[in-house]
Amino acid sequence: MEQLIADLKRQIIEALNLKHLKPEDIGDDQPLFVDGLGLDSIDALELIVLLQQHYNIKLANPQDGPQIFKSVKSIAEYITANQPK
Amino acid sequence: MTTYIKGMGNISPQQTWDDSVLLNKPLVYHDDKLKCHEPDYTQYIDPKQLRRMSRVIKMGVAAGSMALKQAGLSVPNGIITGTAYGCLEDTGIFLNKMIENNEHALNPTPFIQSTHNTIGSQIALLLQCQGYNQTYTQGAFSFESALLDGMLELKDAPDQSLLVGGVDEITSTSHAIQRRFGIFRKAMNNMDLFQSKEKGTLNGEGAAYFVLSGEKGMNDKVCIEAVKTLFKPTESDLHHEIISFLEMASAKPNDIDLVLAGKSGDQSFGTDTDKILEAFFPASTIGLFKHLCGEFPTASAFALWLGAKIIQENYLPAAVVFRNNSRPINRLLIYNPYFGTHHSLILLRAC
Repeated sequence: MEQLIADLKRQIIEALNLKHLKPEDIGDDQPLFVDGLGLDSIDALELIVLLQQHYNIKLANPQDGPQIFKSVKSIAEYITANQPK
Repeated sequence: MTTYIKGMGNISPQQTWDDSVLLNKPLVYHDDKLKCHEPDYTQYIDPKQLRRMSRVIKMGVAAGSMALKQAGLSVPNGIITGTAYGCLEDTGIFLNKMIENNEHALNPTPFIQSTHNTIGSQIALLLQCQGYNQTYTQGAFSFESALLDGMLELKDAPDQSLLVGGVDEITSTSHAIQRRFGIFRKAMNNMDLFQSKEKGTLNGEGAAYFVLSGEKGMNDKVCIEAVKTLFKPTESDLHHEIISFLEMASAKPNDIDLVLAGKSGDQSFGTDTDKILEAFFPASTIGLFKHLCGEFPTASAFALWLGAKIIQENYLPAAVVFRNNSRPINRLLIYNPYFGTHHSLILLRAC
């Protein structure tokens, strides 16, 4: 899980062009949207694409998005539970 | 319809966005393209917004911001943009991703920002400007079309302030494709563009925005009197149209103190421009500008910025002068031919 979280932080910084951040600047439980990293709806779409491209996971129910993309840790937990074997 | 210039912002291959003396030290390139000398965009755009913007969007937004600041305006009544190529970089990224990912799982950002109207839209979003927003993509008449639309809008409601601009970028892909047509020279010193008699020109890019109004303010020094475009005119038509254009603005060729001519250094078209300058404007000072910004479809926006600056500052940079007849500059004509097909005329006056 630790390695997955580290990979995710790096991938998020690259995909969202968060050049001013380093992986260690993002807390595992830090909210990604609004008050946390300040991500927005376009970033949410980029995160959905990131899951598809890197982990071959298609979000089955878009309604689950806010819960899944709450933090890096919640994304890692979703990947662990849903990654194709 | 007289249109007053209230503010200007320009990002170009020259130093055009600070307080230095106008083009006193022109930037010299040894290349077949002139790319913009860009500012630190964090001075103009929130870093959070900046991360998603491609280079051309940053150039446009920053140039718009400079123009608004100079005009002392926070939100214009409308935003009108001219761009021939639009957001090429993001278009290229999006198309490449389609191939790489076999048309699956495409990133939304390059797609959203690949459209021509992204620049004008981004400015509107940042300013929360919900007024008129239009983007013209009429090839080498894109900026002129935006300008004409702005002038028509101001004819209806002169008290408005409109942000009108022209933006185009070079990307490595677009340059490589255009180079195949043989329209660019080999890498050379841009300041020598008019010395050698060869075919081809230098590729260019830039972003220039203007705050325009139909009402004169106390600090306004330059106004646009008229704009005209001519597509593939015959030589006699072009000559006739130049005279009738000036007549419409109650001017004669002899009234023009400075002609800013868009000669590109390409000998295929240069002699036509020389004929016009000799036939109609023997008494005028002649200035050139495409060795400073390169050739691109919205180069007229650079020329408008340069012409307005020359009148505003009452200063003619040596780097621009082709033939100096030492006339005080009150009336200025921009004649911009683009590869012998698109010809545009913009008439400026000190006010």
